[in-house]
Amino acid sequence: MKRKKLVSVLLTVSMLAAAAVGCGQQKTQTADKTAAADEGAKKVTIWYYWEGENQQEVLSQMIDDYSSSQDEITVEAKYIPFADFKKQLSIGATADELPDIAIIDSPDHASYASMGLFADITDKVDTSQYFEGPIESCSLDDKLYGLPFGSNCLALYYNEDMMNGQKVPETWDELRATAKALSTDTVSGLAFCAKQDEEGTFNFMPWLWSAGTDSFHIDNDKGIHALSYIGGLVNEGAMTKEAINWTQGDVMNQFISGNVAMMINGPWQVPEIRKNAPDMKWNVAMIPKDEEHASVLGGENFAVIDNDNVDASVEFLEYVTDPERLAGYLESFGYIAARKDAADGQFEGDDIMKKFVEQMEYAMPRGPHAQWPEISDAISLAFNETITQTSTPEDAAKKAQTAIDGVLAE
Amino acid sequence: MFKKRIKKETVGLLFALPALIYMCALVVYPIISNIILSFQEVTVKTFSLPQKPFVGLDNYIEMFQDPVLLTAIKNTLIFTVCCIAFQFLIGFAMALLFSKKFTASQPVRGLLMMPWMIPITVTALMFKFMFGSNVGIINQALMAVGLIGEPVEWLTTSGTAMFALIVTNVWIGIPFNMILISTGLSTIPKELYESASVDGANRITTFFHITLPLLRPTIESVLILGFIYTFKVFDLVYVMTGGGPVNTTQMLSTLSYKESFEMFNYSKGAAVANILFVILLLVSILYLKATYKEED
Repeated sequence: MKRKKLVSVLLTVSMLAAAAVGCGQQKTQTADKTAAADEGAKKVTIWYYWEGENQQEVLSQMIDDYSSSQDEITVEAKYIPFADFKKQLSIGATADELPDIAIIDSPDHASYASMGLFADITDKVDTSQYFEGPIESCSLDDKLYGLPFGSNCLALYYNEDMMNGQKVPETWDELRATAKALSTDTVSGLAFCAKQDEEGTFNFMPWLWSAGTDSFHIDNDKGIHALSYIGGLVNEGAMTKEAINWTQGDVMNQFISGNVAMMINGPWQVPEIRKNAPDMKWNVAMIPKDEEHASVLGGENFAVIDNDNVDASVEFLEYVTDPERLAGYLESFGYIAARKDAADGQFEGDDIMKKFVEQMEYAMPRGPHAQWPEISDAISLAFNETITQTSTPEDAAKKAQTAIDGVLAE
Repeated sequence: MFKKRIKKETVGLLFALPALIYMCALVVYPIISNIILSFQEVTVKTFSLPQKPFVGLDNYIEMFQDPVLLTAIKNTLIFTVCCIAFQFLIGFAMALLFSKKFTASQPVRGLLMMPWMIPITVTALMFKFMFGSNVGIINQALMAVGLIGEPVEWLTTSGTAMFALIVTNVWIGIPFNMILISTGLSTIPKELYESASVDGANRITTFFHITLPLLRPTIESVLILGFIYTFKVFDLVYVMTGGGPVNTTQMLSTLSYKESFEMFNYSKGAAVANILFVILLLVSILYLKATYKEED
């Protein structure tokens, strides 16, 4: 009897502990920032999914700076995990419980804009200083529904200690040969996130574009070439098949653990690698090319929700996207500014980030299309079928094209 | 007399009212609104319209023409049947084992409840690492004892991914089966076994003639509850394989989530959820019938 009691006490305690830990985590994750609320002051709420510590600090910094600059508007930020973000926005839209600004993944901007969630701010802001790609990702039918925060793109990371005198690959053939030469029982020569979702598509688009086709056409020689090249990398042992289950974060962890010699990843990993693997010798180069250089444009946009608070939201955005301030925020963020006057002079003396700026010139946005998620789904299915050898590249391309054509015809 | 009775019934109804309101608000309303949603066309294009277009059965017809739905139904059934079979048999065997008193039997039984109490996401991540092909402990162990020559790509090959999910879910589900069957076993009067042994029955005959028949109601509940619980699996699959590779572990629940929240096809997602709902409703009716029969 005594024993039974002991066991139940232990179990209860461990459950309580687990619950308490759960609560604690939630508290630290929601970086709620409430400035001194004046009576009758306007409040702007922001939803975001940035989980990196320094990313959250930058957001807090923005809000603090803004709060101390004026006392009419208070700003509050709420963290929602990336996996739940789209769901929460959709639910919020039906329940009329939306924030005033959502910091969203750029390819989703057009979808939500076409759902009518976002406000048309075309006449409220001046976009002459912005790069075309990022502004395009905030627009739908020539109307502007938000402002880009910062951009990123993918490039090739390599572990200098593992290269064994191999030359840094510049073409697809060189990449395949190098990756094969670097692969062992425990090391994968190359890895990139190849999940069957938007993250995987993000990592596959540079290959598709480099082969010479666009986002909406895959069933042609070029599309099939890209598919069979990636399928070949995996099936010839140049890249681990597990990449179909790895997020970009997983790929980065495998890279710093020495299980991956070269990886495709974005600049937001740079601060992470410097922090977690300070002794590692690594560098960054352009993604090896087939027909032409290509990379994919990523990053977040500030989407302005259509409600009576639009003017306050825009005012906050104008403040934080001021070129000087923006450059400061992006510095510790590992992102490239979406406006030219802020990007000039960014990353002075940082050769690795400079490589990303260089690669950025070849970065294109996915879509944009209101039903991009469906197109993306067809593309990610195609490369997953090829990698797992469930289909030939030809059949996979054909099937994907039928799905894409269906979406485009709607 | 009659009046008094009516009053009694009214009071009874009043007691049931909170539960009824709760059920209507949180169960009936969402189900009905989900059914309505599945007959409309709510996508990115129609989302902001005040009146959503009514399309009848179009969403269902389109989903049934999509091979992914049939794959998902097949996968969900295979997953459920395999999980239930193993969970039940192993859980039953453990319940029989722990019905005997031996040293440390109680604490060990308590510890065996752990898989049931760990949050599923944690379990899923743990097994995802264990099933990893290069560094996973399962491959290393199997290779060390010489059962396999080279690493098996558990989660990235069609057939083995489903196998890995089933193994994980069986591990989670054994305690549930064990504890319910244990409770059932403890309600069987000891005298029956004593008189059987006096009559010279051996263990196998007592099992088939006393234990099994008396456990029938428990077994029915365990199987049907287990079916319902397993059929709507979501978090485990979402974390371990995300429905992949190439939809070979796509379940009805993950498909519904994907349609609704990744592709913004809210109505199609609702249609898939309703298909899941109808299947579970049929099973629940079976369960209710079985329990009513016993109570009569």
